[in-house]
Amino acid sequence: MIDLTLLGQLLPVFGTAALRTVALVAAGLAGGLALGFLMHLLRETRVAALAWIYWAYTAIWRGVPFLIHLFIVYFGLPAVGISMDPFVAAAVTLSVYGGAYFAEIFRACWQTIPRGQIEAARCMGLTRRQVFLRIECPQALRASVPLIVNQTILLMKESALASVITYPELTMTAGKVVSEQFVYIEPYLLLALSYWALSLLINRLGRLLARRVAL
Amino acid sequence: MNTPQPVPMLSLRGVGKSFDGHPVLAGVDLDVMQGEVVTLIGPSGSGKTTLLRCMNFLEAYDQGQVQVRGALLGYRRGPSGQLLPESDRVVAEVRAPLAMVFQQFNLWPHMTALANVMAPLTLAKGMRPDRARKVAADALDRVGMAAKADSLPANLSGGQQQRVGIARALAVGPEAMLLDEPTSALDPELVDEVLEVIKSLSREGMTMVMVTHEMSFAAEVSDRIVFMEKGRVVTIGTPDQIIRRPEHPRVQAFLQPWIRRSLGDTARRDAIAAGASQ
Repeated sequence: MIDLTLLGQLLPVFGTAALRTVALVAAGLAGGLALGFLMHLLRETRVAALAWIYWAYTAIWRGVPFLIHLFIVYFGLPAVGISMDPFVAAAVTLSVYGGAYFAEIFRACWQTIPRGQIEAARCMGLTRRQVFLRIECPQALRASVPLIVNQTILLMKESALASVITYPELTMTAGKVVSEQFVYIEPYLLLALSYWALSLLINRLGRLLARRVAL
Repeated sequence: MNTPQPVPMLSLRGVGKSFDGHPVLAGVDLDVMQGEVVTLIGPSGSGKTTLLRCMNFLEAYDQGQVQVRGALLGYRRGPSGQLLPESDRVVAEVRAPLAMVFQQFNLWPHMTALANVMAPLTLAKGMRPDRARKVAADALDRVGMAAKADSLPANLSGGQQQRVGIARALAVGPEAMLLDEPTSALDPELVDEVLEVIKSLSREGMTMVMVTHEMSFAAEVSDRIVFMEKGRVVTIGTPDQIIRRPEHPRVQAFLQPWIRRSLGDTARRDAIAAGASQ
């Protein structure tokens, strides 16, 4: 049977842990969007060496599991003198990992803009920068909103792995309850519900944003 | 004494262009004088659109040269006279007298009709927004689109979008307009409203180079018709010489289906008229 009293007792603990998960995902989202857009800019310069950085980055970071990146950053980098506490290590890894996906989202959205629109702008005398800012950004960024929302939910779920480097977010908190009190169904149920609630929240915020920016 | 020759609006000499080693234009010579309306016709794949796009360097030609009002377009002369790629800024300056109207309109869908027409004025010409708004509104008025100034392109019909496209080209005050099949993407019932606008421009003396499949229209507005095939100019002449009474056998063959159709139209009209008078 499910112990409702225990569920009630666990709620505040999970509330605190959920805030830590939110902090981690927010940091990863902000860092990832910034890095992803920067990488997209590199590619847009059409300078071969910069475009190569884009390809190397997105290929490597999308081609290796998040957990392995996390191991390398948290357990591996101290060997070269870079030590981070668990939150920073998880936030940095999530940012760089998310950035690779965000960069690809930006690339895909930029490619949806018909070439003729760019040609019209160019032959009317708009500079490359004006085309980017006035023609491409308003359309491509609008188109990217649902994809970014989806990717954020994926990042939120990946953030559970931060538990293995001892950042006390939701999953680690659930594990702690299990190992200390030998109860299973209550903490894991609460854990699943917490993630589900967070995904609903992200979805809702995303839809508000999409409506705000709609033409 | 020689009278000085006027500088052509557009001057093409030996213009060639290949895509992946496959020649699309094979040495085209053509001068377009101020106030002239020149129409390019010919079968699909004859290079009409590519030629038009080379005239404002949307396609980089790789042989010969294009001059806009005497200025070399897209390239500059190197120390030993060879052609070197010109900077974006200078290309923009040289082609500034030209405006283009596209088959697919190419309006910017996130901007209203008015904003579409204003954008080149404020961004490229550095015009103040209040002044640009006035110029853009006038241009929309000229094409009969003043009432739809605040509509987004998605809420306009194809003919209306193309009229906004023409207003956008007009607003920058071009010395010549390049029109790439301006009615080919339109439903038949929307073609006339666009052709009317183009006709009024030709009456006002606008220099135009146009690719079109509307033969009656071409015959009506053009000063000269250029017939192209396989990347070359086959023959150039007046609408009478090329369209109404074609002498060149290749042009005759090309126009045969159109002549048959329009004769059919005439016969049908005669029949209807005969029926009505009975």
